[in-house]
Amino acid sequence: MLSHVAATECARIFSGVTPQATTFDAIVVGSGISGGWAAKELCEKGLKTLVLERGRNVVHIKDYPTMNLNPWELPHRGAMSRQQLKENPLISKAAGYGEDTAHFFVKDRDHPYVQEKPFDWIRGYQVGGKSIIWGRACQRWSKYEFTAPERQGYGINWPIGYDDVAPWYTHVERFIGVCGKADGLEAMPDGEYLPPFDFNCVEKHLSDSVRAHYGNRYVVQGRWAHLSQPKEIHLQQGRGTCQARNLCMRGCPYGGYFSSNASTLPWAAKTGNLTIRPDSVVHSVIYDEAKGKATGVRVIDAHTHAITEYHSRIVFMNASALNTNLILLNSKSKRFPNGLGNDNGLMGKYVCHHNYRTGGSGKIAGFEDKYFYIRNPTECILVNFRNLGKQEMDFVGGYTTFTGAYRERGEPTTAREGGAYKDALSHPGPWGIYMYMQGETIPREENHVRLHESEKDQWGIPRLVTSVGYDDNSEKMIRDWRTEAKAMLEVAGCHDVQTHDNHQAPGLDIHEMGGVRMGSDPKTSLLNKWNQLHACPNVFVTDGACMTSTGNQSPSILYMALTARAVNHAADEMARQNL
Amino acid sequence: MNRREAVKTATVLIGGVLVTSNGFLVACARDSNRSTGKVLSVDDQSLIEEIADTLLPTTPSSPGAKAAGAGAAINLLLTDCYEPDAQQRVVNGLNEFRKSCRDRCGNDFASLPQKDREQVLRDLDAEAQKAGPTHYLGLVRELSLQAYFSSEIGMTKALRYVMVPGKWVGCVPLAPGQPAWA
Repeated sequence: MLSHVAATECARIFSGVTPQATTFDAIVVGSGISGGWAAKELCEKGLKTLVLERGRNVVHIKDYPTMNLNPWELPHRGAMSRQQLKENPLISKAAGYGEDTAHFFVKDRDHPYVQEKPFDWIRGYQVGGKSIIWGRACQRWSKYEFTAPERQGYGINWPIGYDDVAPWYTHVERFIGVCGKADGLEAMPDGEYLPPFDFNCVEKHLSDSVRAHYGNRYVVQGRWAHLSQPKEIHLQQGRGTCQARNLCMRGCPYGGYFSSNASTLPWAAKTGNLTIRPDSVVHSVIYDEAKGKATGVRVIDAHTHAITEYHSRIVFMNASALNTNLILLNSKSKRFPNGLGNDNGLMGKYVCHHNYRTGGSGKIAGFEDKYFYIRNPTECILVNFRNLGKQEMDFVGGYTTFTGAYRERGEPTTAREGGAYKDALSHPGPWGIYMYMQGETIPREENHVRLHESEKDQWGIPRLVTSVGYDDNSEKMIRDWRTEAKAMLEVAGCHDVQTHDNHQAPGLDIHEMGGVRMGSDPKTSLLNKWNQLHACPNVFVTDGACMTSTGNQSPSILYMALTARAVNHAADEMARQNL
Repeated sequence: MNRREAVKTATVLIGGVLVTSNGFLVACARDSNRSTGKVLSVDDQSLIEEIADTLLPTTPSSPGAKAAGAGAAINLLLTDCYEPDAQQRVVNGLNEFRKSCRDRCGNDFASLPQKDREQVLRDLDAEAQKAGPTHYLGLVRELSLQAYFSSEIGMTKALRYVMVPGKWVGCVPLAPGQPAWA
């Protein structure tokens, strides 16, 4: 079986043998969703590549201890123990965190940071990073999202536009496998999709009602990184059809959804060009004053604290948005006393995120004789309709809404005990529809991260200080979303409609972005249009740190596309001896 | 597969809790009861299982809470996942329940016929609804439902759990009497 071969191959390469070599063509810091892509693309270009991962090794299938456990086989049947929650008040808030997945999230006590303003920094330190536990939504950005910040005056220009990224979106979609329907909508351009997951009966009704009432609002099937019908390229990765278990975050034995572990890392390993080193905490990027470029990275062994330097012609920073900021800020030299490439002092600033504070729901009658066959691993998308191509609201930016219809368990009964009670609880109950917002936030200079002056982590690296908050624009957007969501739920015929604002801190969205933003002008940005540091072009930043603005689409696939695009450029420049 | 490892881990976890819970039980001076190493003594665990089984009895469609081993599961969840004040509320509640049952029915709850046991719970529920959310029956009900519907019997005989559905079908007719997906 293909997946077996891939797993064995992986196990061999990831067996923890310390690599002898310390010099490579390329170094990739981080093995998550963008680091995995950097590794794959670099290795395919024939470049000897070292991937450094601060966390432990996780081998596809082999290291998914809960993947096949029935709920009743979990120690507390999926419930978190009091002790675990008490020890992890922060990370346990993360979406998908549970008794069956907690081993893919950090423990609070191991990785403290300083919250100048409340910020829930959600981290997964292992080979594969958060790609094991990501949300898997894969919409493309519209052309408007690239241009709106500058045109509406809430940001600088993106040095690239939709047309620059489109071919790289295609490149990524083909390899990772994205299900979805080509809906022909300007707000969310079509990609190359595998068959979508069906609407359920009530979702279809919602989509039809909203479309009929508004004319220009669309509820469409989710574009999700699932192999609804794998193609040859996916089978070659050892991945198979998504079995609709919806137990993704435990790790998928079928490779049904995309992760670095199931896809890019074993693919990179097969080239023979990959060396991956887990338990390697990157301290800083090394800058050679004489050569005027970066020459490698300084690594602290997570367990022994031994320091090793690795050298390479180019460095890709894919450590996760805020850790990339931290490492670059900590990469101090005579030339760059404030962090590598930080001539304008803007590194760590303009950190933004997605606004996930608001959601709503309603109950709906009339579908009691309808049901569905078990579990849908995707969600429907209510495509952005705000400030699309023109400024029309009292706030800037747009929002994507995720939505779905569900049937509760337990049909209504007056019985409170006995056979009738138990049997009623065992049957399907009323239908409901939920919605929640993924809203754009404005990049603002005061929203920043920086190194703490004195507090250090267990490896002697300065702790990160987070100072990121909401602004009035976000408050206005939340108010508008609540009004519109309520109206749309009512248009669909819902009763008992409610919306809420959970006031969650930034960060819990797990869409933190920026700090090392792209731009055309080195005075106002850190990276050029190829994701190279303006002042140190052999260092590339292609994770969330590079984001100039947040758009309203889920960002992961954009990081992957930008990474592939940047590697292509890097390889060309290396061939031309420019790097 | 790492199933064995997972089971081993569970045992260690439970072992870890054993110590604390013993201490707690000693502090409560419930030494007339045999200890289970958890918050509820053998007698309490058995009583709460009888209550759970009265709420959720065996019916023609599926086995009840007792068959599903709800008592031990409730004890585990209560011990590991609930706050000490909730634990205390359940322990005190069960004492109160035991006493009032003897006073009113002249007999142990377990030895009453199902019909009478349901009546006891109906009366108690009326009291609980008057008393509000602090009444112990709310917790006992919550624990019973949680333990039963997360058990293998609850998930596969009352509800329908399918680990590997193989596919998703969005819109299908609901068959008469069809159980809910777990």
